[in-house]
Amino acid sequence: MTWYTNADAPWTHVSRRLITARLITLWIWMAPLVIAGLVITALSSEPWFLALTGAGLALGAWFSWIVVRQVTVHAWAEGEEDLLVRRGRMFRSVTVVPYGRMQYVDVKAGPLDRALGLATVQLHTASPGTDASIAGVPAEEAARLRDRLTTRGEARLAGL
Amino acid sequence: MDAAPPRLPLLGGWAVVGAVFAYFLYQNMPSWVVGDDYDFLDEFPVLWVAIAAVIGFAAVLSVSYWQWRRTEFRLGDDTVYLRQGIVTRQQRQARLDRLQAVDVVQPLLARVFGFAALSIQVAGGEDSSVELKFLRLGDAEALRNEILYLAAGLKRERQNQQDPQAPGEEGAHVAPASSLRDLRAHLGERAEALGRPEDILRGTETARTAIAAAVEREVYKVPTGRLVVSTLLSGPALLVIALPIVAGIAVLFFHLDIVEAVGAIVGTSLVAMLGALGALFSFFWTRLNGGFGFTAGISEDGLRLRHGLMETRRQTVPPGRVQAIRLHQPLLWRWTDWWRVTINVAGYGEDSESVSVLHPVATRQEALTAVWLVLPDLGDPDPHGTLGYAMHGTGDEGGFLTSPPAARRVDPWQWRFRGVRATERALLIRRGRWEKELFVVPHERTQSLGLSQGPILRALGLANVEVHSTSGPVTPIAAHLSQEDAFALLDAQAARARAGRRRQTPEQWMAAVGLDDAVVADA
Repeated sequence: MTWYTNADAPWTHVSRRLITARLITLWIWMAPLVIAGLVITALSSEPWFLALTGAGLALGAWFSWIVVRQVTVHAWAEGEEDLLVRRGRMFRSVTVVPYGRMQYVDVKAGPLDRALGLATVQLHTASPGTDASIAGVPAEEAARLRDRLTTRGEARLAGL
Repeated sequence: MDAAPPRLPLLGGWAVVGAVFAYFLYQNMPSWVVGDDYDFLDEFPVLWVAIAAVIGFAAVLSVSYWQWRRTEFRLGDDTVYLRQGIVTRQQRQARLDRLQAVDVVQPLLARVFGFAALSIQVAGGEDSSVELKFLRLGDAEALRNEILYLAAGLKRERQNQQDPQAPGEEGAHVAPASSLRDLRAHLGERAEALGRPEDILRGTETARTAIAAAVEREVYKVPTGRLVVSTLLSGPALLVIALPIVAGIAVLFFHLDIVEAVGAIVGTSLVAMLGALGALFSFFWTRLNGGFGFTAGISEDGLRLRHGLMETRRQTVPPGRVQAIRLHQPLLWRWTDWWRVTINVAGYGEDSESVSVLHPVATRQEALTAVWLVLPDLGDPDPHGTLGYAMHGTGDEGGFLTSPPAARRVDPWQWRFRGVRATERALLIRRGRWEKELFVVPHERTQSLGLSQGPILRALGLANVEVHSTSGPVTPIAAHLSQEDAFALLDAQAARARAGRRRQTPEQWMAAVGLDDAVVADA
């Protein structure tokens, strides 16, 4: 059977530019491994150290594949009363957050995100278990989403 | 006006006493414990150490006295203001309609001198409470009552109340508040008489309250005997009892030299063993200290819990503040059918042993009563029967949604014991074959919902549904449901939570009564 689909609202996928952002971050971490392997091989003329480069490339490729798979499934849906966030392919999860339970909304963007015009929108409830962050929302859309969420939250505000 | 008693700040000065004690302990320890070759501390004569201790003590005393002088507290109609700090001044305002609980705490030393700390929990993440240390016990209680009175949304009654009853000293516990209206009149009178709270904290004025507290009815009390037995029936206690037996058997059958064996064990892992002993001791201590004389009652202000051996704590949790309940039965409690009931209250956080306990060791009947205290209406025609199935049932008897047989692969022993059922007011989640667990989450307290599935569960067509509650010892999760059931449960639970939020009781719990009055007047 397929994974959960809500009847209430359509899913909005996050921007595919998030793939670029995540891949850049990933390869910044992987590059030293690859380069270190090459440099040591060149200096010591021991071909064994190429294994380091190979491992770096293989791991990087595998993680890249995971990043692509994860980003393409990451989506949110704005229902009548709740916000739904879907993520993960291997470990799949859906979080349903009622607007009325929202305590505050965070919009965050690091330097890489800003360069690519992305932002992360995160909803906070009174529960630490609520994991409702949406990464890779286009910047203007993030601002609009935040405003929509805040308005809906105020309209349906419930206590704790 | 009486002057502030100077011994007040001394209550925080334990650390210095401890240091001095440690020094004398060190001095008088036999040399084989410490070793002869290390005599750094021996170079300092006792006199000098004593002088240093006195100076240190005086320093601690004066700093805490200064701190106490700089602490100011004010109670507005809907806000608590707290100003404190010597170098960094801190101002804190807490909205009373966000009040989650008010505790009167008395550490041992404070109890000896008749003082108490008031801890006001407001919703708002970590470390958001307002702590007032230390007030006279009577003042702390009066302030608590005043705060609860204001938080209940009764302030409008204050101006137009007509016949205030004559203020009597401490007559409250037997106050004949025959009706709610009488009680409100009492409360209004008391609030008028309370005067300026900052003077109370300073100790320059005694609270002149007429009533001590809302009328309270005791619901259950934990006998000390049962508490001790329940602690002995815990895993750690069994470990302590079993160790010598195992050792004895080992010595008998394997002809080990016991002195040699013990010596070897102690010699190799003294630090680890001391750590383990410390952990064991603290386990027993928190269980016994926290659960001693545990009394629960119900009043207009909500739940009242009283407990503690050395440090006593009197908690008041207003109606609708309990976010989730967990009933837990460890393996060894099955014979006696005892349950431990813990709750989530926003603001209490993770400190589960001392504050988040609703019943440290309940009989089955008391456990049902504890649930009833939080949820008077379970929204089920047969609440006891349903809860009975939730506590002891298997399979789908009682209308529970259970894990499918596919769950056997990941959960061979307890898959038939897992179950989920929603009543009209709450979600019940049950699990456990030998060690049992039951979560009760009122629909209107559901913060958010989660659905999750890893690769193994996916292969078996299973999924978990999680109900997110505020931080605390209760984390309800319905694991290993069939995928279809999990999806349906997620949707249904979101709808139920929605409906629950609509009929949610207001934050100001007495204001609900006022609303009813208005409706009656209109009709």
